[in-house]
Amino acid sequence: MEFKLEAHRIVSISLGKIYNSRVQRGGIKLHKNLLVSLVLRSARQVYLSDPCPGLYLAGPAGSPAAPPQQPGEPAAGPPAGWGEPPPPAACAAWPETEPQPERPADPAPPRVGAAEPAAPVTGAGDALRAGEVEEAEAAWRRVEGPREAAEGGAGVFAGAEGPRGARRHCGCPPGGEDRPGALGACPRVDCRCAPRPAEDEPPAPPAVGPRKRGAAGVGGGPAGGPAPGSSPLKKPRRNSEEQPGGAEEEEEMETGNVANLISIFGSSFSGLLRKSPGGGREEAEGEESGPEAAEPGQICCDKPVLRDINPWSTAIVAF
Amino acid sequence: MALNQASQLYSGSDRLGPWCSPTGSPAPLSCETGCGEGSWILVCRLLVPTQVSLLSMEEDIDTRKINNSFLRDHSYATEADIISTVEFNHTGELLATGDKGGRVVIFQREQESKNQVHRRGEYNVYSTFQSHEPEFDYLKSLEIEEKINKIRWLPQQNAAYFLLSTNDKTVKLWKVSERDKRPEGYNLKDEEGRLRDPATITTLRVPVLRPMDLMVEATPRRVFANAHTYHINSISVNSDYETYMSADDLRINLWNFEITNQSFNIVDIKPANMEELTEVITAAEFHPHHCNTFVYSSSKGTIRLCDMRASALCDRHTKFFEEPEDPSNRSFFSEIISSISDVKFSHSGRYIMTRDYLTVKVWDLNMENRPIETYQVHDYLRSKLCSLYENDCIFDKFECVWNGSDSVIMTGSYNNFFRMFDRNTKRDVTLEASRENSKPRAILKPRKVCVGGKRRKDEISVDSLDFSKKILHTAWHPSENIIAVAATNNLYIFQDKVN
Repeated sequence: MEFKLEAHRIVSISLGKIYNSRVQRGGIKLHKNLLVSLVLRSARQVYLSDPCPGLYLAGPAGSPAAPPQQPGEPAAGPPAGWGEPPPPAACAAWPETEPQPERPADPAPPRVGAAEPAAPVTGAGDALRAGEVEEAEAAWRRVEGPREAAEGGAGVFAGAEGPRGARRHCGCPPGGEDRPGALGACPRVDCRCAPRPAEDEPPAPPAVGPRKRGAAGVGGGPAGGPAPGSSPLKKPRRNSEEQPGGAEEEEEMETGNVANLISIFGSSFSGLLRKSPGGGREEAEGEESGPEAAEPGQICCDKPVLRDINPWSTAIVAF
Repeated sequence: MALNQASQLYSGSDRLGPWCSPTGSPAPLSCETGCGEGSWILVCRLLVPTQVSLLSMEEDIDTRKINNSFLRDHSYATEADIISTVEFNHTGELLATGDKGGRVVIFQREQESKNQVHRRGEYNVYSTFQSHEPEFDYLKSLEIEEKINKIRWLPQQNAAYFLLSTNDKTVKLWKVSERDKRPEGYNLKDEEGRLRDPATITTLRVPVLRPMDLMVEATPRRVFANAHTYHINSISVNSDYETYMSADDLRINLWNFEITNQSFNIVDIKPANMEELTEVITAAEFHPHHCNTFVYSSSKGTIRLCDMRASALCDRHTKFFEEPEDPSNRSFFSEIISSISDVKFSHSGRYIMTRDYLTVKVWDLNMENRPIETYQVHDYLRSKLCSLYENDCIFDKFECVWNGSDSVIMTGSYNNFFRMFDRNTKRDVTLEASRENSKPRAILKPRKVCVGGKRRKDEISVDSLDFSKKILHTAWHPSENIIAVAATNNLYIFQDKVN
């Protein structure tokens, strides 16, 4: 329980640091942001490892069991465990994920984001949400990609960026746009926020990169393509794991706070999405002003998620 | 040559070497460890460069007086005056500091003189110049800080001194030279420099050099720019004195001093997919004797040794130093505190020393799986990592230094404390660089941090440490027991009492 509170607090602090790094003199520091994102990831995993979903801050004694494992997990291997949320639904599932870190992607090159999909959340139950969360998880790393590509290293923004990134990824406009959530209104045919959690989409062609999204401001702009050319591995992964619907609540909480993040930070994190096709984005190393461009996460299903705003989100809102 | 001197000192068996009095016979006091209690005294405290340089150049005041007086005891320090790097040259005669304002100030050691024996060992301002200016990269909408990240001296090869200074993006080679004569008696110019009417010249004379007041001038001889996309964190001069390397977060480039428009990329750890980024380069250094060998440290707590003979791109290391993590110490911040902030070869070239947030480790090049020595710098902070994360102190990059004989290592901490560890006797001492102890020749009293329980008199509790006063940069004279400690905008010079 305490771990959860602690993790919550750390996530808030980390996000604040990432936000402040935008305005630092001298450009965004890659090293510091990388470290902050690692902390964010650890804290996020602790937070999500609560075996009692739904009891965010009132977890019973059951939770302490998870955290000790949690911290170990990120260290377990290369950041392949990055976006891999532990199975929220059950502690039992936890040990499974632990040995997993390297599975999804090649262990050899640590795949910070490529591997883990939104494991716990899949088509079960609320298909829509599942889809979102998958987006969240999958795009999580994608988000890191362009972020790091950003000169000066906006760094790897694991954690909270993930869900937010997911939104963007699917190209749906953010909740602020007053779109009725992912259910409808996704302008793009291949937008994942449409309830197709089980589909295995190939990555969008490079031409449809999120780059286009980059031009728009907060909450606006044409939806970029899905899959900003990031690893195709994510797709199969995303759909390969099925978790009980209970997991979704965890993820929702995540996405809920992401929604707030978007509205708070405005366009500041839009650069996260700007990942050029075929790594071209990475070449644009100088474009660390990514954060300033592009619209922020396009939240597919803001409304249903926002309903679940919890104290975590509130904390983020404070930023 | 400074290098030879250092080798002599490192004879391994005779650690009394650097402790000898000038006559060459070991003084009894020197049998104690160099970092024993009461053996360090303050030589001088050097003030904010602007004040010193203004005074020395505009007013005819003995700069020595300024340096030793505390009349200009400013309690504030502008951000630009914060010292960001300190480095002795190879003989120890000169001490260079760089600050956040892009200035370099060079201090020179007072020459020994019969009249003022007690003044030996003091350093006075020798030269001040603006090395880097703030720049703006219009293409990326980025401001480039003028803060000097590192200064490295080149060994002296003629009358002039050369040093490299770098900010986040650009490395510059500066030549610092003295001028104490000027030509007089030109034919075409008069004494003020005005051109004379050739019609008025009736005789010719040969210009002669006449003595003038000593003037030290610094000129930029080379500018090595546009080679780094990320922030430069280290530069290191190779032992061949023809090349040097500059390292940023993801790449290391090899330069030739004569060529400024190209450099070789020798290490590139940028992943093809930036999402896969897991570590960055935090420091790099050439081996002191083998010009083909260098090491670089990473944010993951690992050190890689590379041999440039193996291939053009040294992405594959020759040796890989990593200590397995202690799982019992795992926390949210384990990754941050394991990030190495500094790596230094010993003068002998046999060992490397690394500094991470809480410890200093000495590694033997021949053993990759763990360090041979680990010293806890301020382990009492381990329980405070969360607060230190909040106030950003956990990201502080402390440096570490060897003494001339590689027997003592030194590094900084908070509250203006710095620590020395004697590798042979395993004794350590904590000293403080503060204004309160700033009487010249005052003996430094060892400090102690109380970690819990009863606090003894003179001990400081962890909670009353001032985390805004940190010693990140220190330097040790290459052959003598003289250390320079940078505390915000003050530079303290301490000397071993035996003298």
